Amino acid sequence: MYIVFYSTSHVFEAEERLNENGIDCKVVPTPVTDKAYCGVCIETSAHNAECYVKDIEHCVI
Amino acid sequence: MIYLDYAATSKYKPEEVYKAFEYYFREIGVSPGRGTYKLGVEASRMLYKTRKIVANYFGCEKHNVIFTKNSTEAINLFFNGYLEKGDHVIMSCYEHNAVLRPLTKLKEKGIIEYSIITREDMNLSAEELYIKYAKKNTKLFVTTLASNLTGRVIYRPELTKIMKANGVSTFVDSSQGAGKIRISMQDECIDYLAFTGHKDLLAMPGVGGLVCVEVPTVQPLLQGGTGVLGDKYTNPDVFPDAYEAGTLNMPAIWSLHASLSWIIDNFDSITRHEQELLSYLLDKLATVRKLIVYDKDYNRVSTVGINIGGMKSNELVQLLDENDICTRGGIHCAILAHEAINTSDIGVVRISLGWSTTREEIDKLIEVLRSVGE
Repeated sequence: MYIVFYSTSHVFEAEERLNENGIDCKVVPTPVTDKAYCGVCIETSAHNAECYVKDIEHCVI
Repeated sequence: MIYLDYAATSKYKPEEVYKAFEYYFREIGVSPGRGTYKLGVEASRMLYKTRKIVANYFGCEKHNVIFTKNSTEAINLFFNGYLEKGDHVIMSCYEHNAVLRPLTKLKEKGIIEYSIITREDMNLSAEELYIKYAKKNTKLFVTTLASNLTGRVIYRPELTKIMKANGVSTFVDSSQGAGKIRISMQDECIDYLAFTGHKDLLAMPGVGGLVCVEVPTVQPLLQGGTGVLGDKYTNPDVFPDAYEAGTLNMPAIWSLHASLSWIIDNFDSITRHEQELLSYLLDKLATVRKLIVYDKDYNRVSTVGINIGGMKSNELVQLLDENDICTRGGIHCAILAHEAINTSDIGVVRISLGWSTTREEIDKLIEVLRSVGE
């Protein structure tokens, strides 16, 4: 799944949190282009990843 | 050459800073928030890391850091975006022109009023100051961390605390003293803080910023490309991207990451070294005839403003330069402070020490000053 954010800064904050909690993830180009969100997002297969970024404005696609 | 103008810019940087700058320039070399290839992503990651270290350094829990090209731009961004018609601002008489001028422009346009705390009143208690200067429409209290003219530490946490307790927002201009005094924005009730990289923070020129305890709701200073929500005709409402339109100076920003890491690791030894040198300098200056040290009896950073026997500051600066000693005379973009210490006519010679200054350099300075005093 992809977790997308409005702010690029939040992408890297999310990456840091997921890494700190042992969640495997990658920063990749956002599938929906920069019309909707910032240019990069988090790709992960961990279903519990979203719980680590709940307080950051985001969307899961 | 003896460089004693650290308050203008820290000419000498730790080796790590040069290396970081060069690394970014050579090995990364692309902008953050633009390309989504690996190198672009790494650039964005480095930007994030720098935001984080800046926020942590200034005791701000969230990474609410807006990067600008210097503190002047950050101050203009904040004042122009935050202040509204009818607002009143309180500032100290030691503010730099970077603070005075944008506020005066807003005053001239009939948008705000301001009050300046006099030098005499700087000795009042926080409560007395609040009672004397605050009005019903006071929205913002502004203070520099330290005077760029005399080195006197102007910032007082008890003042920001009392202002905040009474509903007045607080702003610190940390351009002078940021690398020499540790402050905690959250613990000391500082809502907003402007910083510059190239002075006490020992980074390359071309980076500064605004740190905010909470995400601000101010208008951006610049409109343009932000790398996000590119379909909008104006900057999107996204923090901090909306405030950073255009290409950021990433080599300088990454050098700031290196310089802050270095300062954090070496803070105690740097401050001890500079305070020892400062005491040594003040002791030696006391032995020079006809020499005045301004704000001598106040807590200070390693900057000292002097004059000798009615000599104009530009003449003394020139004489020192002929002896390969760099100091700064004139008004130092601080007309308020000069008016406060009554030196607008002759200026002041500013001697400012840094992490690489030595006793031998101070001895040479004193030797030249003695020749003038006699």
